Amino acid sequence: MADKASLAIAIIAIIIAVIAIGYAAYTASTLSSQIKSINNKLSAIESRIGSLEHRVSTLTARPTATPTRTATVTGKVTLTVIGPWAGKEAKYFEKVIQAFEAEHPNIKIKYVIRRAEELAQILPLQFSAHTTPGDVIITPWAWFIVKMAKEGHVVDLTGIIKPSDYIDGIVENVMWNGHVYGAPFTMWLKPGFWYRKSFFKKYGLHVPKTWEDFLNLLKKIKKIPGIKNPIVSGDSKGWPLSDIVEHFLLTFLGPDITYKLVHCEVKFTDPEVENVFKTKLVPLIKEGYFSPPIEWTTAIEKWWAGEYALYFMGTWIAGMVPNASDIDFFWLPGDKAIVGGADYAFIPKYTKHLQAALTFLKFLATEGQVIHASTPAGKIPTWKKAPVDKIWKPMQSVYKKVTEAGMKIVPDLDDTIGGHWQTLFWDQLKLLWVDPSKLPQILKTLTEQLPACKAKG
Amino acid sequence: MPVAGPRRVRWGVLAVFLTPALILLTAFVIAPILGTVAISFECKHGFCLKNYVDVITQQSPDLALIYPPGFGGPPPWGALIHNIVWILIHVPLTTMLGLIIAYLLKDTLGGSFIKSIIFIGMVIPMVVGGLIIRFMFDKYVGIVPKIFQFLGVKSLAITWTSYPQTALIALILGSVWLWTGFSMTIYAAALETIPRDYIEAAKVDGASERQIFFKIILPLLKPATLVVVLMTILWDLKIFDIVFVATLGGPGGASTVMALVMYMYFARELDFAKAAAVAVLLALLTLIPGVYMARRAVKG
Repeated sequence: MADKASLAIAIIAIIIAVIAIGYAAYTASTLSSQIKSINNKLSAIESRIGSLEHRVSTLTARPTATPTRTATVTGKVTLTVIGPWAGKEAKYFEKVIQAFEAEHPNIKIKYVIRRAEELAQILPLQFSAHTTPGDVIITPWAWFIVKMAKEGHVVDLTGIIKPSDYIDGIVENVMWNGHVYGAPFTMWLKPGFWYRKSFFKKYGLHVPKTWEDFLNLLKKIKKIPGIKNPIVSGDSKGWPLSDIVEHFLLTFLGPDITYKLVHCEVKFTDPEVENVFKTKLVPLIKEGYFSPPIEWTTAIEKWWAGEYALYFMGTWIAGMVPNASDIDFFWLPGDKAIVGGADYAFIPKYTKHLQAALTFLKFLATEGQVIHASTPAGKIPTWKKAPVDKIWKPMQSVYKKVTEAGMKIVPDLDDTIGGHWQTLFWDQLKLLWVDPSKLPQILKTLTEQLPACKAKG
Repeated sequence: MPVAGPRRVRWGVLAVFLTPALILLTAFVIAPILGTVAISFECKHGFCLKNYVDVITQQSPDLALIYPPGFGGPPPWGALIHNIVWILIHVPLTTMLGLIIAYLLKDTLGGSFIKSIIFIGMVIPMVVGGLIIRFMFDKYVGIVPKIFQFLGVKSLAITWTSYPQTALIALILGSVWLWTGFSMTIYAAALETIPRDYIEAAKVDGASERQIFFKIILPLLKPATLVVVLMTILWDLKIFDIVFVATLGGPGGASTVMALVMYMYFARELDFAKAAAVAVLLALLTLIPGVYMARRAVKG
């Protein structure tokens, strides 16, 4: 009997202890979430006041380069800034940080490297708990910022970031319901096929003026001894292939095709789109003009070594080769638009240093761009007031070539759609590259899974 | 003379020791599991089965658990089928290789050294393992395509991870290399426990080496085999890192697995409910060998 009584008491004691601790934890978390909720509301109000102050200052013709709220930053503040750059790229961004810290001695920046993929894993959970690992977060995924903004986690930057100050279409990517939620930083371009000038000179090759010229160029290159394939296909998770496909679509279907595909006004299975794949791209793959997908940084080395002659890549390639003055690029004949994409900075509502974060964000979106574009990061500013002569020399020629040709800069198709469809797109194109006979199935899959087409049923 | 006193004290001590463990288990194991199960049933308006229906009937080749359009040809066949194929190929290969290596190297000069080398596959992080697999099967730098090139088999002198016909098998074979160290170690330890008397007695009775192996050693290794098989099945069901690094489930969803599908819902779709639904399904699958193993362990 005594044993049973002891057992019962022990069990009851355990149950009471568990319940008591659980209740205490629940109460603490409720209190904490209530406090956080109040803090967030205060932050939102502060942010709104900042935005209104800025609008008033604009109306009264006060200077707008720095938000009015900068003046209210008092005491030493350390901002945690999360960005995607590592290695050399981080060093280039470090220069932006140094310039900012020199200008704002009260604010110290702690830079943390997190790529977009990692942020997608970390931030939704952190934001759900009303906390954030960074005060300012930089990512190329505009769709992600908008998604977080829709869920109420992002500070509204309307009035602080004016779309008209930036290259057309750049700020629109981070807008929702007429409000701006991200500040554009520098941008990359994916302008066309890169080649080594010395290689072209050595073998008497010329930039093509027509589609036939382009085909003849590929034929000539294929015959050069030591060449494995005329064009090297970069591979990572598949994104370099998507850039090639987008370039073909823009060339043969016009600059509006990206918008139409994103909104399912045109489908991948529509005859005009299918035709571009069937008559332009797939024959080149079948002819062996494209290499099988090769890891994209290895591809740079092989292309530089002369195993391949052409490489479709973004402007950052200029910062990754031993001699940037030896490279140039051409777009497909007839092309009127090229893909460009920016990195965007946003401020989570849960930052404890809203004023300092706003100051840094505004700097990034303006002067910071000038500094970043002056480094060999291979980027150009999206801020229209940035002086062109401050851009890193090799990029200046790219910038001039693009603007003088009147090329329209359009957003990246898969970066705009984002989510699962983006990886599906990359993956399906990898399949196309190794098995072009699967084209109808691939186009069908891409159409069926496209969010806008799904929504339309 | 009654001795009830000490027993009463034991229950009190038991309570003191049990309480912290129970609290920790509740906070870090039971609550997250229950939370995940609850999330998996979450819908816009309360609870429903829609998430399960959606993930099971999903027909995007990279997210499908079962992908009937792919049947009859090379992958994709769906993540669940890929996991099953993985188990069917990986488990017997790893088990047999581990056993053979452990048996051959037992009492062999330099055996420990060779075993250490084989065990490296188990020591390195799986992410690194994934990268190594990617390079092992790369057309330009990989040993496997080079061997086939040397043998004149052009169809296999390719980057295996880039083609739907070979991507899944490349990952499976790579995982054999990574996991064989585990089975070899278990078998090596088990072989040491077999009393020499049995073998010597069999030899005295005129048993051949073959008979000794199949009639004495193999039956005595049954508990070790059970551990190897069940642990390998569990590992195959949970496989993620090497797929993520080497192929990201591609090309065309040809090498995707259930854990990767869960990740895609979680980190790409940001659809936590569907990710939780896949996680629950995966957990239920791992429970089958897990519970069997636990019951065997309890029975001794």
